[in-house]
Amino acid sequence: MRLPLWLKRRLPGYRPPPERWAHMEEPYTGDDVVVVDCETSEFDKKKGQLLSLAAVVVSGRSIELSSALDLTVRSDAVTHPDAVRIHYLRKEDRKHGVATADAVQQFLDFVGNRPICGFYIEYDRAILNRYIRDLYGFELPNRFIEVSELYVRQKRRYIPEVNLDLTFEGLARDLDVPVIDRHTALGDVVSTALMFIKLQKGSS
Amino acid sequence: MSLQINLDQPPFSFLAEKELAWLKSRLDLVFFPAGEVILEVGQESPGIYILYKGVVEETDDDDQVFTQYGTEDMFDVRAVLESSCKHRFTAIEETLCYLLKAKDFIQLLNSSDDFSVYFRTDLGTQQSLVEQRGGEVSEFILAQVDGDTMRTPVYVTGQTTLVRTARMMRDEKHDALLVRDGERRGIVTGSDLLHAVLNDSLPKETRVAEVACFDLITVEEGEYLFNALLKMTQHQIERVVVTRNKEIVGVLELMDMLSTFSTHSHIVAMRIEQARSIEDLVIAAGRLESLIANLSGQGVKVMAIMSLITTLNRRLIRKAFELLVPDKLNSQVCLLVLGSEGRGEQILKTDQDNAIIIRDDHVKDALMPSLQKLHQVLLDFGYPRCPGGVMFINDAWIHTAGEWRARVGKWLNNSSPEAMMNMAILMDAEPIAGNSELFEEIRGAWHHESLRSSIAASWFARPALQFETPLTLLGNIREDHGAIDIKKGGIFPLVHGVRALAFEHGLYETNTFDRIDRLAEQEVLSKEVAQGLKDSLVLFLRIRLRHQLEKAEKNPGLTQQLKVSDLRSVDRSLLRHGLHRVKKFKQWLVSHYHLENL
Repeated sequence: MRLPLWLKRRLPGYRPPPERWAHMEEPYTGDDVVVVDCETSEFDKKKGQLLSLAAVVVSGRSIELSSALDLTVRSDAVTHPDAVRIHYLRKEDRKHGVATADAVQQFLDFVGNRPICGFYIEYDRAILNRYIRDLYGFELPNRFIEVSELYVRQKRRYIPEVNLDLTFEGLARDLDVPVIDRHTALGDVVSTALMFIKLQKGSS
Repeated sequence: MSLQINLDQPPFSFLAEKELAWLKSRLDLVFFPAGEVILEVGQESPGIYILYKGVVEETDDDDQVFTQYGTEDMFDVRAVLESSCKHRFTAIEETLCYLLKAKDFIQLLNSSDDFSVYFRTDLGTQQSLVEQRGGEVSEFILAQVDGDTMRTPVYVTGQTTLVRTARMMRDEKHDALLVRDGERRGIVTGSDLLHAVLNDSLPKETRVAEVACFDLITVEEGEYLFNALLKMTQHQIERVVVTRNKEIVGVLELMDMLSTFSTHSHIVAMRIEQARSIEDLVIAAGRLESLIANLSGQGVKVMAIMSLITTLNRRLIRKAFELLVPDKLNSQVCLLVLGSEGRGEQILKTDQDNAIIIRDDHVKDALMPSLQKLHQVLLDFGYPRCPGGVMFINDAWIHTAGEWRARVGKWLNNSSPEAMMNMAILMDAEPIAGNSELFEEIRGAWHHESLRSSIAASWFARPALQFETPLTLLGNIREDHGAIDIKKGGIFPLVHGVRALAFEHGLYETNTFDRIDRLAEQEVLSKEVAQGLKDSLVLFLRIRLRHQLEKAEKNPGLTQQLKVSDLRSVDRSLLRHGLHRVKKFKQWLVSHYHLENL
């Protein structure tokens, strides 16, 4: 449930975004969404360090890859060996990335007030908010769309008790979406974007 | 990010690495549900779509399907270049396309010459660009005779003694010297000297002009090395003189060529020429196939392979004929090769198509024993028996000149499909051994003015329309029969259509390419159509040859079935263009010969 802006502003502990991102609070009227994915040093909302970040605009049925954001973050975080096995970002690979603050700024500029969509987006939201709070003292005011939720809703509409495979691969298989470069931020973003497009089409 | 799309094929392979990286960074991804129209007639295209997954169908106003596109195919360049779409493009399965925006595409065109040439030119040029990329090794044979390949000539005057000439050869490290004798120019080789002194016992002080050869075999500078090689083979010599506007500028040595030329075509030719027994010939024949595979593997153009193989095949058969048929019978008969062999378009041996003409006053019984043997030898060479029985050992294909003329007359009056088929077979005949004048006699029988626009010409043309052009089978849809018959679908209608026109216009040429050229000269076909047909035929032959060679490794036998999914996407798209041309040509034949009511 999204609170209206006037009410939100009155909540205790509310902190408005600085001038540069003030527009992010305005209601969004267009049809685009931004699909986002982060890769972190470990799978932990509190401790995971941001390693890479990708975002792409989905406009109707088109995934605007050519303007996508695809950032590797320069960080000396110790990567958990298991995580490396997943995203293949070793410390050496991250030497040439951008500074974390830089990545977060670019991301905020890119997203604007558009809705943010992802697979298990709660995790990405928590990670990003943690950085944004520390750096600029606010949290993402955007609407969030969870792809797996769209999926469950669509499936349950026809068969309420169905057993669903809610893994990324499970969704990809069921929706017949090619998994492109799995576990690179941009690769996951593209697959997620395709899931979103297909679920959109189905629910309209 | 690494896009999972194969861009190592033409036209993208013409791009430099930097441009390719840029291209990849400019791609968007678009999804279309099944049934959605991607581009509408008259619509401006946002850019070039490259199929990642799915199938797209191109249809015209009347919903007639033109072609289908599958993975890695792209469309529609014309819509971008001409800023309006001629046909409708519909996703017939769920489809995922990369989209290269029009302005980015135009920018690529402007930045890369090869890339833009590919899009802005006709099928033939596209193809030669593709063939060029096929292999670099062949460059030598396709190279031209120029300063790099020839030696600068060393001259002696005709007055020089043999001793001095021999010394010069040693000092200059040349095995051949040019001889200047007044206005005459000649050549003298080491073996000439050897023969003069040892065999003819000429004194060492003899003037070199007396032993030199003044009948020079020359090639013009700029000719293909390949042609020079053919000339050497024909004349059984090891060097040719290179001229520029009739002036001698150099000498081209076989040894120099061979050291670079690894395919042994010359060696095969030599073996044929020097064969003293049928056994020798059979060995030489056995090498032809690996020679073809070799040449093709090195990326030699299919036209060049065709002309080389035709030359070698004919020599092989002629040699066998000479070995088997007694000299005194030689002027009494003429051996014809028919079908693709007659047209000079056979690459891999298909079947024996041949016939014999006997001089009118001669009886065939005396000939039969040697001809039976010849037939057996051809089998040994690897020419299988003709399933249709078009062979001189069958009574139907061995006649006296008079009988032949009568038969042709009967065929032309009869107009039955069978008669027309026989006529078509005989029309492609080429005399290759024996007395070719006999053939001249009977050829007149179908070169009548009266045949033009006659009913016979129209009956003759009919079979060209017999098979459907397999255009809609392209794409990945019908996996169960994802194959097309390239002969029925492409080669036969084209070759036969051209043959029908050649028949109507009384052409003497047998080769389809020559026929097309002649028809264009006589303005029967427009230049554009002629070029399009030639390009298409080369394409069909090239794709078929590659396919047959690949198949031959696993299971020998000549297949005409092309598995569409085995083709590279670029070949698939060229093939589509080629088949389009054939379809148009067939439509043209229909109206030309009034075959609408078929």
